[in-house]
Amino acid sequence: MANKVLGLTAVDQTSLLRIAILGLISIVAIGSRLYSVIRFESVIHEFDPWFNYRTTRYLVNNGFDKFWNWFDETAWYPLGRVVGGTVYPGIMVTSATIYNALHMLNIPVDVRNVCVFLAPVFSAFTAIATYKLGKEVKNATAGLLAAAFIGVAPGYISRSVAGSYDNEGIAIFLLVFTFFLWLRSVRLGSAMYGALTAVFYFYMVSAWGGYVFIINLIPLHVFALLVMGRYSNRLYVAYSTFYVIGTLASMQIPFVGFQPTFTSEHMAALGTFGLLQLVAFANFVRTLLPDQHFQILLRGAVFSLFVVGVGGLVLLTMTGVIAPWTGRFYSLWDTGYAKIHIPIIASVSEHQPTAWPNFFFDLNMLIWLLPAGIYFSFRELTDNHVFLILYSIFAAYFAGVMVRLILTLTPIVCVMAGISMANIFETFLNVRNLPAVETDASTDTTGSGAAAISVSVAEAKEKKKTVDTQSTSSGLSAHTEAGSGSKKSGKKAKGSNKTASKASGTTGSKDAANEDASTLDAPLTAVTTSAAAAVRKPASKNQPPNPAMPAFSPKRLYALFPKIVVMANFLYFLCMFQWHCSWVTSSAYSSPSVVLASRSPDGSTHIIDDFREAYYWLRKNTKPDAKVLSWWDYGYQLAGMADRVTLVDNNTWNNTHIATVGKILASDENTAYELARRHDVDYVLVVFGGMIGYSGDDINKFLWMIRIAQGVYPDDVKESDFFNSQGQYAIGESASKTMLNSLMHKLCYYRFNEVMGPQAFDRVRKQKLPSSVTLDNFEEAYTTENWMVRIYKVKDLDNLGRSHRAVSVLEGPKTSRTMF
Amino acid sequence: MRVFASCVYLVLGGALLSITEAKSATGDRVLVLVPKAESSKEYSQVIASLDKRGFDVTLAQATNTSVSLHNYDRRSYDHAILLSPTTKKFGAALTVNDFIRFVDDGGNLIVAVSSELSDFHRKLSAQFGVEFEKRGMLAIDHINNLKEGNASDHTVIASNRFTDIPAVLSPQFVKADADPVYFKGIGHKYDAKSPFLIPLLAGKRTTYSRLESGKSNTAQDDSSLSGSSLGLVSVFQARGNARVAISGSTDIFSNALIKKGGSGNHRFVDDILQWTLQEKAVLREVGHRHYLTSTGEQPEHYRINNEILYEIDLSEYHNNAWHPYSANDVQFEAIMLDPYIRATLNRTQSADTKSTAAYRGNIKLPDRYGTFTFRVNYKRTGLSNIDIKDTVGIWPLRHDEYPRFLSAAYPYYAGSFAMVVGFLALCMAWLWNAEPSKKKNAAKAKSE
Repeated sequence: MANKVLGLTAVDQTSLLRIAILGLISIVAIGSRLYSVIRFESVIHEFDPWFNYRTTRYLVNNGFDKFWNWFDETAWYPLGRVVGGTVYPGIMVTSATIYNALHMLNIPVDVRNVCVFLAPVFSAFTAIATYKLGKEVKNATAGLLAAAFIGVAPGYISRSVAGSYDNEGIAIFLLVFTFFLWLRSVRLGSAMYGALTAVFYFYMVSAWGGYVFIINLIPLHVFALLVMGRYSNRLYVAYSTFYVIGTLASMQIPFVGFQPTFTSEHMAALGTFGLLQLVAFANFVRTLLPDQHFQILLRGAVFSLFVVGVGGLVLLTMTGVIAPWTGRFYSLWDTGYAKIHIPIIASVSEHQPTAWPNFFFDLNMLIWLLPAGIYFSFRELTDNHVFLILYSIFAAYFAGVMVRLILTLTPIVCVMAGISMANIFETFLNVRNLPAVETDASTDTTGSGAAAISVSVAEAKEKKKTVDTQSTSSGLSAHTEAGSGSKKSGKKAKGSNKTASKASGTTGSKDAANEDASTLDAPLTAVTTSAAAAVRKPASKNQPPNPAMPAFSPKRLYALFPKIVVMANFLYFLCMFQWHCSWVTSSAYSSPSVVLASRSPDGSTHIIDDFREAYYWLRKNTKPDAKVLSWWDYGYQLAGMADRVTLVDNNTWNNTHIATVGKILASDENTAYELARRHDVDYVLVVFGGMIGYSGDDINKFLWMIRIAQGVYPDDVKESDFFNSQGQYAIGESASKTMLNSLMHKLCYYRFNEVMGPQAFDRVRKQKLPSSVTLDNFEEAYTTENWMVRIYKVKDLDNLGRSHRAVSVLEGPKTSRTMF
Repeated sequence: MRVFASCVYLVLGGALLSITEAKSATGDRVLVLVPKAESSKEYSQVIASLDKRGFDVTLAQATNTSVSLHNYDRRSYDHAILLSPTTKKFGAALTVNDFIRFVDDGGNLIVAVSSELSDFHRKLSAQFGVEFEKRGMLAIDHINNLKEGNASDHTVIASNRFTDIPAVLSPQFVKADADPVYFKGIGHKYDAKSPFLIPLLAGKRTTYSRLESGKSNTAQDDSSLSGSSLGLVSVFQARGNARVAISGSTDIFSNALIKKGGSGNHRFVDDILQWTLQEKAVLREVGHRHYLTSTGEQPEHYRINNEILYEIDLSEYHNNAWHPYSANDVQFEAIMLDPYIRATLNRTQSADTKSTAAYRGNIKLPDRYGTFTFRVNYKRTGLSNIDIKDTVGIWPLRHDEYPRFLSAAYPYYAGSFAMVVGFLALCMAWLWNAEPSKKKNAAKAKSE
């Protein structure tokens, strides 16, 4: 270990390498998230990001005080929305801070670009946080591997591509970093780290509703440790500090408010906090009592307290003192719950249970490294490993229930995969115990393993690194030896010490842990160094690696063979993983959904920009306070792009209002007109895919609108009326009368057969259209190029009090105007 | 040159005249359409009275192709009087829609027909909820009719069944034994449910409708309309305040009937003309404002439970000028889907000017945030509609506007202060007690 290269000690070399590798991982993490910008443009994606973007702009323009007290009159007309009190402000404040900092440095960046690139930048931070977490629970090798995995794992990329400006973009970083700080504070028993955990927990609370996961998982960890008899003062200090500061801090977010004191989601944390105090007290009592008596007393007390606590919780929940769990949480236990009781939750595709292929699609080989990681964690069960196991199990369960919770699963899968891979590397790259040291082969094996890393590290190819490599390669085998050797011996040596400390649980010394960490770093040197070496393998091969090189022998080759096979296998898997991640990212997760792309037969890409066309039309051609009715999916986009008043939007806080909109769209024209007038609606916007075959259109969502409306207005809207006599959901001649008369149907198919000819055909439903669609109370205002968005104006009441039907009969068929 | 100059004077004079002596609140260009040029003599009294009141009357033959209601989509006239019931085609192919558009644009319309009305008129009046009897039918009354000496004409009926609308009719018609109005023409069915239509004059109990004598009169030609369901003259006010009068008789506008002694015809026709041409019962909102009682200023948005003042100035047009409008039923509403507040506004004398009356109300805004509509929706039969809407945001309290130091929270304050004191006491106790032993330990350690 005393070899000095470039005046650096081996330890310095490894940290340099680690930093370089982490830098490269960050670059890859950011780079692979830029497909959307390159393919399309720097635009805010999807739905929720548009709200975040709009509020960020408001924050930047009006300052924090106004933002904090902002009441948005243009949303949920006429109810309005208290934005300051119903928003997780973390992401807006983050962007605004970055924006202001950049402007202070005279870097004139647009708010939009800050927002677009925020998620990729934070994904780099996530990679670093994951590295820290991996290092905390195992060693730097595992950390680096985990960082490399999370940098490109599609499960996380799906929510963090450039333009996907959503809470999750920064929340995953905060989640991982909070867990890292928590584990460190538990390991060290440090109040400072406990407080830091609380600070980052506060940041997390301010950023994402998923903070509930943290505030349940950490108490669960504490509880599990208590039950396992692993109580320690470190645990007491860590949790008490974290809980008190974290809870007080979280209550400063208006949206959370006093929830931590009365909702079920937060009760586990409170209960655990109380339990911990009791256990601490019991421990104090133990010092005054004989041991065996005390054990019995303690177990009994813990058990009875748990029973009493849970019983009390149930009782209080039932009597209504503690707010019952919200529907979204019920649907976590019973996947059928939402469909029956809360259609509005079930209607969102990301709340559906996950299909099996999704796991593989989003995590690829990591998903089968997860059990291996759990196994390795069990083999060496520290406090931290208990946490990892709990996290894995719970996140895996939740990810199975709701598609979008794969997101919370991804970090732990990456960490677990990092642990498994690190174990594999350590086992199979260790050529120390072979009959005799054979350098040629070892170079090969390390090379292959290293190449694997180099793949995940994105073709680590920097020219200037080769200098490093050349210089370090001479010390390669020495490191390898030192690393793997010292690991074994170090393990042995420290082993007793460590297990002892763990068993007693009270004498856990910082020194031992730190030493452990530095010892465990050593194998990393082998891997990382050789990773770099692999890049210049031909060169390093030609060099005499070590003066003390033993001779080649077939026996040793024979012993090496299984290692080579295994490593080659994993190399292949890692290559496939990287390839899969890039492919998934570019093909599935980089579409902004605001702008669509289609490929024509000759291979050229055709951009379909109907949404922005329609929103731009509204922005330019309607009164600034015009009220636009649409299904709630488009609320945020309307507010963000068209800057018009909306009735409902993606913040689905008022089910009745959404049901009313559903009722308007599902009713016949006259009822709809009356309701629309009552809500001061000026325009109705529908999305129609029948022309170009866009299947995510309103007709396909229509059944959900009906269901939601039926939930509130069971007398006026009935789902069964919308199916024809064969029980099919038809839109053509065979459709039911209610369906044909519904406003949604009329608005979508109005004049459609004029453009499609007599054999008019819906390209999504593959059905023939009804022959004619009449529309009296609404008039077509705008239809986009591909007919994807259709905007109708709600006619004014007739000046003479006639019905619009009578007026159109009098006026006869309108002369068709030019539409495009 | 002289001709040109005189033309200029004429135009200027006309313009001046119209400014100074304008009778109508909305304008004074009147188009009178008659079947033949010479038939204008028949209506000379009406036309003369219009002229006298300062209207700029254009008399034209209904079929004259140069007649049009709009010029480049703007109204060419403010009022139109159709006295040509048999005409099938007006002017330059004017359609029913053109007349409707004329009304939609704020033009006022008087339609008078006879029993020989054309389909055009039938279609036009149907748009206002008036359905005329079949062609050739007449309103007949064998008891209440025009009697001159011994002779009586059963087709000239005398009716005094008025709908009592003071805004439209003079007080003399309100009496039970008011002078009757002689009417010769066709009756109609009026849409009783329409809030826009007022059947101003209907038949008496003995009035019914049948084909003119001499024409075949089979049972199926009989009408079910009689008595009060048989409308004779109806008036209509559109949502946009344009006014329309529909009469089943052209004759009531003719000199012959107007001059009839012992009848209310002269006054009645005058009332119809004045009302329809917006010479009376015209209401308008001159201005309105709302502001915080405390500051007297209108903020960008209110907060819940704010005390505000709402004011609206109303004027009524009659006798050639705007006068303060007087009523005690002007209501204010604060609406968010449903009315949260409905309050009567009081007329305040001090704020009145010569032509406007101010109505004011102290309003306490609801304890509910949202986008509210402040609305004064004043619709009274015969008067112009006033519908004033303001969209106003009512915001929740700011984070620093909530009440502090609630008495209910005193136990908590006491608790936290007790905690602080206790913590300090504990610290002190700890410091004073633990220090010496620690020092000793440290010293021991050092020495070792």
